[in-house]
Amino acid sequence: VAVEDQPDVSAVLSAYNQQGDPTLYEEYYSGLKHFIECSLDCHRAELSQLFYPLFVHMYLELVYNQHESEAKSFFERFHGDQECYYQDDLRVLSSLTKKEHMKGNETMLDFRTSKFVLRISRDSYQLLKRHLQEKQNNQIWNIVQEHLYIDIFDGMPRSKQQIDAMVGSLAGEAKREANKAKVFFGLLKEPEFDVPLDDEDEEGENEEGKPKKKKPKKDSVGSKSKKQDPNAPPQNRIPLPELKDSDKLDKVMNMKEAARRVRLGPECLPSICFYTFLNAYQGLTAVDITDDSSMIVGGFADSTVRVWSVTPKKLRSVKTAADLSLIDKESDDVLERIMDEKTASELKILYGHSGPVYGTSFSPDRNYLLSCSEDGTVRLWSLQTFTCLVGYKGHNYPVWDTQFSPYGYYFVSGGHDRVARLWATDHYQPLRIFAGHLADVTCTRFHPNSNYIATGSADRTIRLWDVLNGNCVRIFTGHKGPIHSLAFSPNGRFLATGATDGRVLLWDIGHGLMVGELKGHTDTIYALRFSRDGEILASGAMDNTVRLWDAVKAFEDLETDDFTTATGHINLPENSQDLLLGTYMTKSTPVVHLHFTRRNLLLAAGAYSSQ
Amino acid sequence: MEAAKMASPKSAPKDAQVMAQILKDMGITEYEPRVINQMLEFAYRYVTTILEDAKIYSSHAKKSNVDADDVRLAIQCRTDQSFTSPPPRDFLLDIARQKNQTPLPLIKPYSGPRLPPDRYCLTAPNYRLKSLQKKVSSSAGRITVPRLSVGAVSSRPSTPTLGTPSAQTVSVSAKVGTPVSLSGQRFTVQIPSSQAAVKTATPTTPTVQNVLINPSLIGPKNILITTNMVSSQSAANEPNPLKRKHEDDDDYDNL
Repeated sequence: VAVEDQPDVSAVLSAYNQQGDPTLYEEYYSGLKHFIECSLDCHRAELSQLFYPLFVHMYLELVYNQHESEAKSFFERFHGDQECYYQDDLRVLSSLTKKEHMKGNETMLDFRTSKFVLRISRDSYQLLKRHLQEKQNNQIWNIVQEHLYIDIFDGMPRSKQQIDAMVGSLAGEAKREANKAKVFFGLLKEPEFDVPLDDEDEEGENEEGKPKKKKPKKDSVGSKSKKQDPNAPPQNRIPLPELKDSDKLDKVMNMKEAARRVRLGPECLPSICFYTFLNAYQGLTAVDITDDSSMIVGGFADSTVRVWSVTPKKLRSVKTAADLSLIDKESDDVLERIMDEKTASELKILYGHSGPVYGTSFSPDRNYLLSCSEDGTVRLWSLQTFTCLVGYKGHNYPVWDTQFSPYGYYFVSGGHDRVARLWATDHYQPLRIFAGHLADVTCTRFHPNSNYIATGSADRTIRLWDVLNGNCVRIFTGHKGPIHSLAFSPNGRFLATGATDGRVLLWDIGHGLMVGELKGHTDTIYALRFSRDGEILASGAMDNTVRLWDAVKAFEDLETDDFTTATGHINLPENSQDLLLGTYMTKSTPVVHLHFTRRNLLLAAGAYSSQ
Repeated sequence: MEAAKMASPKSAPKDAQVMAQILKDMGITEYEPRVINQMLEFAYRYVTTILEDAKIYSSHAKKSNVDADDVRLAIQCRTDQSFTSPPPRDFLLDIARQKNQTPLPLIKPYSGPRLPPDRYCLTAPNYRLKSLQKKVSSSAGRITVPRLSVGAVSSRPSTPTLGTPSAQTVSVSAKVGTPVSLSGQRFTVQIPSSQAAVKTATPTTPTVQNVLINPSLIGPKNILITTNMVSSQSAANEPNPLKRKHEDDDDYDNL
């Protein structure tokens, strides 16, 4: 996907010259408004999309050219006509009354230098063009050409409902071509290795369906057929660390647990175990749980990172050098002997950050912990010595989220500087920089195959980036507020996103389409998680509830025929009520994190807030 | 308790009322009452700083009064200094393009904990203890020189690595004459009780005395456990012994 060429900022600002007489702007706008309101119903919804970007651009032009009084009256007259979901932007705009104010505001600068994308059917477009090219409306036509990008599609004009589902982002919708690149959303093949059988009574997963025999069997998890999945990336597309012995042991444990996993569904909902953080005084800012659910970490506003052991086994650190010299290195249980029992505790506190900790992430092998903070650094902590190893400096502004890759070694971070960065633990500088968002990157997640990274941003879009070359391969618009949670489905095909607007949106990555909308929450959704086999989607929000949704039903029967893929929109069924399997209230604890254990028990975490 | 002390909105000073109105206009409806005080303090401090700067500029330009241009200049200078904003988009796209062109580096297998070079880690000791001037005879109890990590050294290559390569660090004093390479490999150092060659792989005693290390013992095959003796959670991001200094060995008691 070609990077949009960005004109030099100052050139664009200076090119913001008069498009006609400032005192007539109100007339231009109201003339257009009149035209659109009198047009046919089928066209009106589509053409109404023009109101907001035109309003903003005309207002900013008046401000830039220092026609303050005209700008003010223009704003007063027309700001009430805009859609409700733009209210936050309008409030910011109302405080920009002078040219000097514009210079410091990066988001507004980006808004002006990038073209607002509108998707309009050909019929509606012809209608608009004919009207605007008449002599008296030429000014608006100039503005439209200057600042708007109209992506024309052939087909039926969209209804207001369809449009409302897709709009809301700071830069309009996504161009169709932005979502055309091929994405390898399949999973990587798990390596085959022998699973040693014990005498335990397990119902082994045997692919061929043959009765289990008492001999070591090859258990190839995930590769149902020997052929390469065409949607899966080649194994060596990006370099991944090799599996160590401990990783293999972990995988064996994982498979054993998977065999005992509860099959979830509408008839069989998971039990939810809630971990409430008491006495956090609204300071809990980040939570993570290890994959095997043995440790939980909390990042706090007082800049500490606290690690707790969830199991009865205490957290132990490695002994000091003096003690280590005394142990017998040849003994079988040397790995136990190097651990220090005297300082074992359920809680370990890690000090180091100089600002609130906004994101935490355990490594898959449970050796490392990452934390990112308002101080602009991402810190790597060792979970064997409970000390800080590295501070990765690159974002010089608050870092809002970080996550380890599912295979370890790589991690991603996103922050206030509007970019996400890909790091490797052994490089002090980032390997990739993912630039393109118009506002802060608030949420970053790896795809299960570690080849792609999804970033959610305060500009209300989600972008999918290719780790190999840093290109943006998907842009998803539709949320009406900053995105705060992302979750990939375990099969890698779908993405669920949650934002401050209380909606969970479901996306098909391969086709680049929105395929579902789950309404129900009334406040920001901070936690989203699919169950281990993808049957249930759990969402947790600031409205103190955890909701469970039927993911299998949400993703079946997708109309992904050529038409919808070409136009990029789909008719969303109003089935939120059908998909909602349960709503679970907490007393007064917003839900910050969700985690399905390997056996499909749902763990939730949040801090008790007394109001 | 706060509410009792705070003036009710009707009788609050004019400034506070204005501030409350500003917050309301910006859409902020829920806030602690102290926020208004903090905002007023900030506004006062900012305005006085700007006006002071403007006075300086105006007197420099030999004007009798402070006028709008001086204030504008003062604001501009302060903005660049205190209120920095993230880089502009075109700059970010540019550096992203550069960074993304280089292919992802290959990952070396079996290299232990994958950490950046030690200069960029926070694992080095960041304090030194003053050495004791009094020379005590070697048999008279412990003299700890805690700069070195103590462990058993073994020159047998078959020494097993213990389980998962741990993220433990080694803290080797900068005083050691040998430039010790720590990249990716962790090893222990034996503290010999004499300055003589320490080729014997004797188990160490807890008493640490001399710190001269024979470099021949330190090799890539001696990969063992080490421990972090230093609390490395300090915010000192510039650890002192970044470079291995070849310092005089006077501080060490040669026993």
